[in-house]
Amino acid sequence: MNMNPLKVENVVKQYGEKTAVNGISFEVSEGEIYGLLGANGAGKTTTMRMVLGLIYPDEGKILYNGKGYSNDQLSNLGYLPEERGLYPKVRISDQLVYLGQLRGMSKRDAEQSLKKWLDRFEVPEYYNKKIEELSKGNQQKIGFIASVIHSPKIVILDEAFSGLDPVNVELLKSTVKELRDAGSSILFSTHRMEHVEELCRNITILHRSNVVLKGNLKDIKKQFPKERVLLNTPKEVTGLERINGVTNVIRHEYGYEIGIANEAAGADILRHALTQTDITRFEIKEPTLNEIFIKTVGGDSHE
Amino acid sequence: MNKFWTVVGFTLKNKFRGKAFLVTTLIIALIMTIGINLPYIFSQFNSGDKVTSIGYIQSAQSEGSATGDQLKAYFEAQEKPGVKLVPYEDKGSEAENEKQLKQAITDKDIKGYLAFGKMTDSGFPEMTYKSEKLLAFQLTSSIQSGLQVIRQGTVLKDAGLTSEQLALLNAPIEIQSVQISATEGAGSIGEGKTPEEQAVNMGLVYFIVILLFMAIMITGQMIASEITAEKSSRVMELLITSVSPLKQMFGKIVGMFLVGLIQITIYVLVIIINVKLPHNSETLIKFNIDLSQIDPMLLIYSVLFYLTGYFLFATLFAAVGSIVSRTEDLGQAVLPITMLSLAGFYISIFSISSPDSMLVKISSFIPFFSPFVMLLRLGLTDPPVWEIIASIGLLLVTIYISVWISAKIYRTGVLMYGKRPTFKELRKAMKAYKI
Repeated sequence: MNMNPLKVENVVKQYGEKTAVNGISFEVSEGEIYGLLGANGAGKTTTMRMVLGLIYPDEGKILYNGKGYSNDQLSNLGYLPEERGLYPKVRISDQLVYLGQLRGMSKRDAEQSLKKWLDRFEVPEYYNKKIEELSKGNQQKIGFIASVIHSPKIVILDEAFSGLDPVNVELLKSTVKELRDAGSSILFSTHRMEHVEELCRNITILHRSNVVLKGNLKDIKKQFPKERVLLNTPKEVTGLERINGVTNVIRHEYGYEIGIANEAAGADILRHALTQTDITRFEIKEPTLNEIFIKTVGGDSHE
Repeated sequence: MNKFWTVVGFTLKNKFRGKAFLVTTLIIALIMTIGINLPYIFSQFNSGDKVTSIGYIQSAQSEGSATGDQLKAYFEAQEKPGVKLVPYEDKGSEAENEKQLKQAITDKDIKGYLAFGKMTDSGFPEMTYKSEKLLAFQLTSSIQSGLQVIRQGTVLKDAGLTSEQLALLNAPIEIQSVQISATEGAGSIGEGKTPEEQAVNMGLVYFIVILLFMAIMITGQMIASEITAEKSSRVMELLITSVSPLKQMFGKIVGMFLVGLIQITIYVLVIIINVKLPHNSETLIKFNIDLSQIDPMLLIYSVLFYLTGYFLFATLFAAVGSIVSRTEDLGQAVLPITMLSLAGFYISIFSISSPDSMLVKISSFIPFFSPFVMLLRLGLTDPPVWEIIASIGLLLVTIYISVWISAKIYRTGVLMYGKRPTFKELRKAMKAYKI
């Protein structure tokens, strides 16, 4: 029987009068990174907390390998909270080994695993340091290690990359991919669409507690019309805005970005440009997730 | 069970690593050492200096000077006189005499002097003790008693009593009190308690009650503030997804208990070592304190009430710590519990002279007070066995309820941030979570 490690069915959570999450459903299969997108306060963290069993859903159910939540499940879960939670004054080796032990590792395994991860992040010297001595970005690395030190089957990363420099983002991203390839199911939330496009197969976009868009990332993109053309030419091209179906033309240093009402207009643009000059680049662009997000969530995404 | 001990170990390790813990333990141990040695240190400073010299004018004309001579003889006849009278020559005039005596005070030959006036009905002249010190009660009273003995002596001599009769008159009268129980008590049955035993037991009760109170206040606060710190630093979210809240809470409580126990053991060792030092044990004997007179049953009950009292309050502190989001708010939130333990403590301490009052009897059954108050009754009276069993039983039931509620509050409270949860929200959430 093919049972997905994590299955969320019609989960509803209410805080008093306010509905925080209104009927979300999704499944995460083995070796998959599932993207949970949404503006601030859309219900991402609440959803994650319900998956973790920190809070209980009012309706619906969450299944782990087909079973309900229990304390036995705990050692299979790894969690990186949005507000990084570690003891500021306790040595990293002490607290991470402690957390590893709490999730069922032996002391020796936890120590080995911690050393391995610190080497992976090229910071073995942090072993005996305290959290408060580290910079925010480095604290985050340690937080990440804390969430995966016990090689959990289900990893939940809340805003894993926020506050990191580009080098560390790449480092962390490649680590997340390794985890995925090793068979972990990862639930991942972020504001940064380019990370989602790179990592996630399936996504759910939440808006004001409701699911507004859900499914395979490629399918979602197909649903949205291709509305932009990139055109790079050595010489100037005139009269682009007069072509039928062109909505707007923006001139960049490298060339033109042209808005189109339908894909057919693309061919007209190509033909029109060829009559005037050579073409170094012509592309009818897929909509970016960023554009899709803004379109579905709308301009009022920020409260 | 493994994870439980992991939590205990982590709590212990962190406390012992902390500088604050080491420093406070050392400072308190130091203060205790000084305190125990204080009587000895004082006695070293006072030795030989104890005799207060008092001047008076010796002259043939003054009637008072005869009294001075009598006093001098009286104090010299004593084995360990506290007062010594020093006669000074009469210089002829009152002003001259005064000048001479004042000079003697400045020279530190005498502490003060006696001035005699007219004869009174008492058989002695009017006397004024003049010195630079205020409130020389002890001195005047020893002079007074000296004079009384002198007077009694003269009067009795005049009455023509034999020396045997005199000795009989002066023989001290003694009365001994032994505390017994009319029914079967819980302590050493039937034997009753002699005054020495009572004194030692009273000392032990005082000691345990203060110890318990300190343990509750210090460790309780530590438990609450650690939980709040874990909550505000959000480690809690990781902990609660790793181990069940009940194990977590009890791991913390037991860990802190062990910390407190080790701390107390250190203190007790410091006390024992200090008391066993030869110079201090002499002082103890002087005060007539014999530690071997402690009733072993009382010790057992002390441990029992200490443990139950600790766990009852510790669970409450843990629950409160989990509701508060920020360490700054903690002081206010733990106030009710502090008051509760203070009440028990004070009832016990202030009833030490009336351990039979209704207040004591009633509060020895009220779970939050009974660890303090029942101990008092056990130490100073002999309460019936059933009352003790009832008191402990009530305590255990309360602990059970308190553990259950605290664990629920803990599980719910640790995830509530921001505004204080309303009672309705809390109840709803508590229903939802399994411990």
